[in-house]
Amino acid sequence: MDSDGRLIERIGKKDDAAFAELVNRYGGRLLAVANRLLGSRMDAEDAVQRALLQCFASAASYRAEWAAVSTWLYRILTNVCVDELRRRSARAGRDLKIKGTPRPRDRQPGAYVDLHRALDRVPREARILLALHYVDGLSYGELARIRGISVNTVKSQLARGKSLLRAELAERGVL
Amino acid sequence: MIVEIRDQLDDLLTGYFRADATPTDLASRIARSSRSVEADLGEVAERLAIRATSHGVSLIRTGRPQKSTDAASQRLVDQAREELVEYLRGQRVFFSVPVDLSETPPFQRRVLEAARQIPFGEARAYGWVAGHIGSPRAVRAVGTALGRNPVPLIVPCHRVWRSDGSLGGYLFGEALKRRLLDLERSTPVLVGSTTTRVVCRVGCVEGRHTRPEERIVFASVEDARSVGYRPCKVCRPSAAV
Repeated sequence: MDSDGRLIERIGKKDDAAFAELVNRYGGRLLAVANRLLGSRMDAEDAVQRALLQCFASAASYRAEWAAVSTWLYRILTNVCVDELRRRSARAGRDLKIKGTPRPRDRQPGAYVDLHRALDRVPREARILLALHYVDGLSYGELARIRGISVNTVKSQLARGKSLLRAELAERGVL
Repeated sequence: MIVEIRDQLDDLLTGYFRADATPTDLASRIARSSRSVEADLGEVAERLAIRATSHGVSLIRTGRPQKSTDAASQRLVDQAREELVEYLRGQRVFFSVPVDLSETPPFQRRVLEAARQIPFGEARAYGWVAGHIGSPRAVRAVGTALGRNPVPLIVPCHRVWRSDGSLGGYLFGEALKRRLLDLERSTPVLVGSTTTRVVCRVGCVEGRHTRPEERIVFASVEDARSVGYRPCKVCRPSAAV
């Protein structure tokens, strides 16, 4: 099996099989992050597709010394998702209803429903870090590189996010 | 070594964020959609005839580009073309070239000024524009005024749709209106640089040298501030977003 770096090299030469392999290797994790950030399976798939297409288009310019492949992928995906979130918060206050199919809601057992609601109260940047940290167990250093911030900022954002969650969940009697 | 103590919240979060299996057809679906990506919109700008007065851009229509008679207006025409190319390539989310609407009748000018307030990537209904200029019943007149927009793209009449969600007309054709919408949907607005920790609107001269691997997208200036980025003093994203 090719290493991630070798895979990107092949994708840079427009190797479709290598691209399919990359999608199989990372698709699930990227989808999980996007799903948790955007809250809808449909939007998540759309975001992952757009992110992977960007990877496909820019694979030739990827430099291994800059970051690990996973860091690079998560950076691109997070950028796509964050812009979608911006659009959504702008859309919240507007009058025009765009026709669309209703968003399918994920089925979540008990405590997850409360957690889902509590996460809504967490500031956006902290929520993004929480999702990345818990989906793939990414380290503080990796999170810092993905979002272009210092390790200390990562730590303080995660701590603040978790303390907000703790307070919210305690209020709901979950923790 | 500091050992992190996992608690109940960690377990809950781990379970909640657990990765799903990759859908088996994800790769093939992405491969399909990559083939349907359309040609570069940037070349649309090459086919535009742009006219300007010494105060600003006064007319954009399809046609052969022509030289202006005086240097001041030619500079504005060149600037407009450059900004339009960047906009159509997804490298610009705002225009800094001035427009000159002094020849436009007052009602139409009010309509166009209202349309200019619609942010990049968003859409409003014809009725919203009518309400915004204080003539809520003049929806049809708004449609006509936008249809005769002298400076399309720069004054974003393509961001005005019908209230049922359908596109309504467009002076460059509905197909282009749809593509502009897709373009604006996939172009981020606020981008920070990991080296300078400055957040700019896409298209700002300051952010131009940010390499792709240094780009961090933010959803708001507040978000960027919360993690230690400061807004650019040139494009002033806080004033615009």
